[in-house]
Amino acid sequence: MSTQQAEPETQDAPDDPAMKGAESPAAEKQKGGDMVDERDESQAEFDGETVHIKVFRYDPEVEAKQEPRFDDFHVPFEKGMTVLDSVMYARDEFDSSLTFRHSCRQAVCGSDAFFVNGKQRLGCKTQISDLEQPIRIEPLPHQEVVKDLVVDMDHFYDQMHAVEPYFKSEDTPDASELEEQRQSRENREKVKMSTRCIWCASCMSSCNIAAGDNEYLGPAAINKAYKFAMDDREEEDIKEHRLRILEQEHGVWRCQTQFSCTEVCPKDIPLTEHIQELKREAVKKNLKFW
Amino acid sequence: MSQSYNRGLVEDFGRWKEFSAGMWAWIFHKFTGWILIGYLFTHISVLSTSLGAAGNEAAIMSETDVYTTTLQGLESLFLIRLLEIGLLAVAVFHILNGLRLLMVDLGIGLEAQDKSFYASLILTGAITVASVPTFLTGVGL
Amino acid sequence: MAERYSSFTPGGTGWFFQRLTAAFLVVALAFHFFLLHFVNHAYEVTFLGTQARMENIGYLLTMILFLVTAAFHGVNGVYNALVNQGLKGTQKKVILAVLTLAGLALVAQGTYVALVMGGMI
Repeated sequence: MSTQQAEPETQDAPDDPAMKGAESPAAEKQKGGDMVDERDESQAEFDGETVHIKVFRYDPEVEAKQEPRFDDFHVPFEKGMTVLDSVMYARDEFDSSLTFRHSCRQAVCGSDAFFVNGKQRLGCKTQISDLEQPIRIEPLPHQEVVKDLVVDMDHFYDQMHAVEPYFKSEDTPDASELEEQRQSRENREKVKMSTRCIWCASCMSSCNIAAGDNEYLGPAAINKAYKFAMDDREEEDIKEHRLRILEQEHGVWRCQTQFSCTEVCPKDIPLTEHIQELKREAVKKNLKFW
Repeated sequence: MSQSYNRGLVEDFGRWKEFSAGMWAWIFHKFTGWILIGYLFTHISVLSTSLGAAGNEAAIMSETDVYTTTLQGLESLFLIRLLEIGLLAVAVFHILNGLRLLMVDLGIGLEAQDKSFYASLILTGAITVASVPTFLTGVGL
Repeated sequence: MAERYSSFTPGGTGWFFQRLTAAFLVVALAFHFFLLHFVNHAYEVTFLGTQARMENIGYLLTMILFLVTAAFHGVNGVYNALVNQGLKGTQKKVILAVLTLAGLALVAQGTYVALVMGGMI
């Protein structure tokens, strides 16, 4: 997952030594000038609406960008334009060092979650016309910034893997008796929404508790576990084991039902509802002491 | 998530305009909770004056025992009355939002969680305002 | 990171009791406010009046239960708020001990006061 997502990043920002060398403060300034020129040009050319975006810039490896700042870009507006389109235009036309992850551009790969106008959103799924300008585009909060809009996703992936997100069996079945393991329609309906997660980390970034408590599994991982724990085909022992992971002190109990995750989820997964259901499951299980 | 530099956190109060209903509910619930547990400790301390009052039948009958005089002395202060109204508001909000949270825990009405938060705010305001006359009777300014 | 979650420490009991006590406290706190501010007025409280209420054994027991649940709910709430802020390690243990002691002291003192008010001691 992580390698797959890291790929576009290198594509976006080719580590061309010549280019890096050019990023001295003076060159940067000149570049800024170019940018303005181009902007004027484009404005004159299009003679129409432009979109004002303010993009977060930071790069620990470039002296002029070590101090975080916002760069302004004026991008020609087109009907149906998304936030991702606008930053791509800015990168392609104004500043090729502008760095962000993206891949499928259709809300499936989950690489381009940004903090847009104070809310976690998928760049490719957010219409410019729905936003107030200037549009402030920042990297996801609560994750360390690697460069510009690119954040370190390692912690998020660690939490996802911590819930052992796979369907498994206690014993390997006899090969001669292998049978299709079918899921009932009703059960599929139950877990349907939880399967839609695209690992974009918007929820984790929006969560107040995950921000303060690094060990908290977070909404995405718990939702992932929900998908398996609620699957009828999961064996009793495995489900028990899964619930034990979830009912750790830093598991489901840390959720304070602020609904932040549910509100930002680009795939509309009812995350809070799933976490609450798992809390009740865990309590029920623990109360069955007879 | 250690940050290599400070770019501000989402829950910084400088960004309060971006807070969602659920986040406000959480902040208020926690804040009122701190007040209520703090009050419980002071409440028991004040009521502990009854330990000094008990046994002195004459003072109790003439209502000059230390418990009665302490409580009535406090109640004669306008400030205390104001604080009591504040306490009522805090308690009512904590109760109403607490009911909301219990519903959320039972998985009831999750889609209306923001509306129920606004409802508990409005109800708290209404109940508090309606109680002001009762709380201010017999106090000199 | 998986190994960090391998030890079995159910936090569910605390969560569940927080909800149970909440359900009781909603009623008890509303009753308490109503009785001492609307039925009786706080500025009219005298030792005699308090004693008369506390001599009713049902009322006395309700108030003690009210105190115990409120102390648990409050102290546990404070502890959870601190854990949510990322409290851990020795600090966490110390805070838990301090809060537990404070809660127990509160219940002990409150119960003693209630019994004296009711003339039981």
